[in-house]
Amino acid sequence: MTTPSTLTAEELHRTEPVPAGSGRRRPGIKVERVNWPGTIILVLCAVTVLLPLYVTVSMALKTQGQAVDGNAFSFPAPFSIDGFVQAWTLTNFPVGAAMSLLVTAGTVVATIVLAAFASYAIVRNWERRLFRYSFYYLLAAMFIPFPVVALPQIQMTGRLGLDNPLGVILLATMFQLSFSVLLFTAFLRSIPMELEESARIDGATTWQTFWQLIFPLLAPMSATVGIFAFLYAWNDFMMPSLIISDPALQTLPVRQNLFQTQFSNNYHVSFASYLMAMAPAIVAYLFTQRWVMAGVTQGAVKG
Amino acid sequence: MSLKLTRTPRTAVLGLCLALLAGLLSGCTGDSGKETIRFTFSKREAIGFMTKLVADYNASQDSTEVILDTSGVDVVSASFVRGNPPDIALANYNMETARFVQRGALSDLSGTQAATRVRKDLQPLMDQYGSYPDRTSALPYSVMASSVIYNKEIFAAHGIEVPETWSELLAACDALKAAGVTPFYATWKDDWTVAQGWFDYSVGGQLDTLDFFDKLAEAGTDVGPDSPASFQKDFEQPVEKMLKLAGTYVNKDAASRGYGDGNLAFSQGKAAMYLQGPWAFSEIAKTAPDLQLGTFPLPMTENPEDLRVRVNVDLAAWIPEESKHKEAARAFLEYLYQPEIIEAYNKSQLGFTPTTDADAAPDPRIEGMVEYYDKGSVYQGPSVLVPRTIPIMNYTQALVLGADPAATFRTLDADWARLAFRQ
Repeated sequence: MTTPSTLTAEELHRTEPVPAGSGRRRPGIKVERVNWPGTIILVLCAVTVLLPLYVTVSMALKTQGQAVDGNAFSFPAPFSIDGFVQAWTLTNFPVGAAMSLLVTAGTVVATIVLAAFASYAIVRNWERRLFRYSFYYLLAAMFIPFPVVALPQIQMTGRLGLDNPLGVILLATMFQLSFSVLLFTAFLRSIPMELEESARIDGATTWQTFWQLIFPLLAPMSATVGIFAFLYAWNDFMMPSLIISDPALQTLPVRQNLFQTQFSNNYHVSFASYLMAMAPAIVAYLFTQRWVMAGVTQGAVKG
Repeated sequence: MSLKLTRTPRTAVLGLCLALLAGLLSGCTGDSGKETIRFTFSKREAIGFMTKLVADYNASQDSTEVILDTSGVDVVSASFVRGNPPDIALANYNMETARFVQRGALSDLSGTQAATRVRKDLQPLMDQYGSYPDRTSALPYSVMASSVIYNKEIFAAHGIEVPETWSELLAACDALKAAGVTPFYATWKDDWTVAQGWFDYSVGGQLDTLDFFDKLAEAGTDVGPDSPASFQKDFEQPVEKMLKLAGTYVNKDAASRGYGDGNLAFSQGKAAMYLQGPWAFSEIAKTAPDLQLGTFPLPMTENPEDLRVRVNVDLAAWIPEESKHKEAARAFLEYLYQPEIIEAYNKSQLGFTPTTDADAAPDPRIEGMVEYYDKGSVYQGPSVLVPRTIPIMNYTQALVLGADPAATFRTLDADWARLAFRQ
């Protein structure tokens, strides 16, 4: 939720100077006019992101007594890192983060590679019925949410010894596959056949053509697919909670579930923990926001 | 682009995958020599206590290594589906756990030392959720008694005694109201607070819930206006009284207040009474650690003999049939039931110890309920005895927010009959 609204705001700001230089601006006016209604709307949008972020940070730094006193916006006084300490030990944070990282990395890599394979095969053999139908088959998975098939999947992963992060990686990849294939196929169609033919003439096999020509060309789309897979795998609660049977191998979101119950609130601990879990995603976003944005629009234009 | 350049990332990816796999496999192998048992514990407030207890047990002997699993109820259900349930559990005893009991998924504990020490008169509380023939599927570990929490300071300041009859209660409320004090703090935004407090205390204080639900189960699909027991016949009067309290003596903003708001407001002395269980004490103490609080059963009749407190089996111990380490789990069970341990646990959580040899030395905050618990003047809340498929909590919330009781109970009767028909 956080990222998209910041994105829109920033995207709009960034594109603002472009029309100025592109000659569409009326010649007589030199002073840049401020679009007040637009600015106000954007400020409001920014507030919807910044306010929760402020509450998260300030809550995390409060003492227990101050966290439940009903003033969410108050400034933490005194500062306390007790929440972080408790969150760190209660979730066994290093292990939880490592598990989340493993599941996420596995899902991202597997999704990109498998979806690219499948899409390449499908697009290049579109005229054959088997490939066309397999495309629809893969897409059909988009209409099946996890809860619907949870029960048989719990049983199956249990029997196959996949009731661990590996099983989660497999299932998460499976669920990500349909959307990723959709993105990749759309993108692949825009890559001219002639490029590939030239590689063939130079004697490249299909495997070589894919790895050395097509896959590098797919990079922007791979980034998009990777970002979606990352967000899904990093934030997912339900699947790991049901599939992973050994609590020691559980991912962060599931570990964090213990802070909030019907009967008690531990706001300072929960928010400290959420902050720690959000940190990698936020840091990753700060460094890659250019590609994230480019990647997100990638699918929209080419589709 | 040469072949070499792409080889490197490919090898790297392969290497990464292998590393991941190795990591997983190494995670599976436990300490050799010790038998490992998985212990599910669902009460999150007491995780600190239990972590220490488990560590003590692991240090005290060399044969068993207990692993504490705090990942919650859904995970347990999934593990039953998968066929690798925990080896032992201490979990809230409710309709959900009862399903495992009824299907015979839990092993018989009647042969254990612990089973002989559990108070026999608590058995109906367990059986009310269902049982499996010739088995003691679960043993109560911690019983929570709940009733009205009251602010002793406010009561003393206005010279009000703890009421023992319905008219005394109304008099007390009127006196408080006249003095400008809100008698009850209600948090109707959270439907469960209406169900467990307002609804359960009113109905349980006036009606024999055990008998009522037995009759109801017997009537099954025939539940309705003509059956021996029905919601529309038996609940109308208690709920009328509940609505009298709810309509006159609560804070004005009750409909928009949640449980967290209630704890805060009550800790700030914004009302004299609060219909919550002992779990609220630790929440109230977060902002007002020294507030003088007490408890008394909500009087619903004119006879002080009728006073009863609501109880529920907050934790029950069970060992699944499918566990591969039953012996080790039983040994740990006996350890958990050692008098000093079970009593220390219940003391820390303001619960009541369900063993016959328990020492009654409770916290002053729950002292007001000891008398009733000891003589067995207890009932289970009707809201927990209705299967979860029927949204009883929402119905009770609708009642305090102005729904017509007669219509609501007709719906409830119809729901019950329909559910009985389906089963």
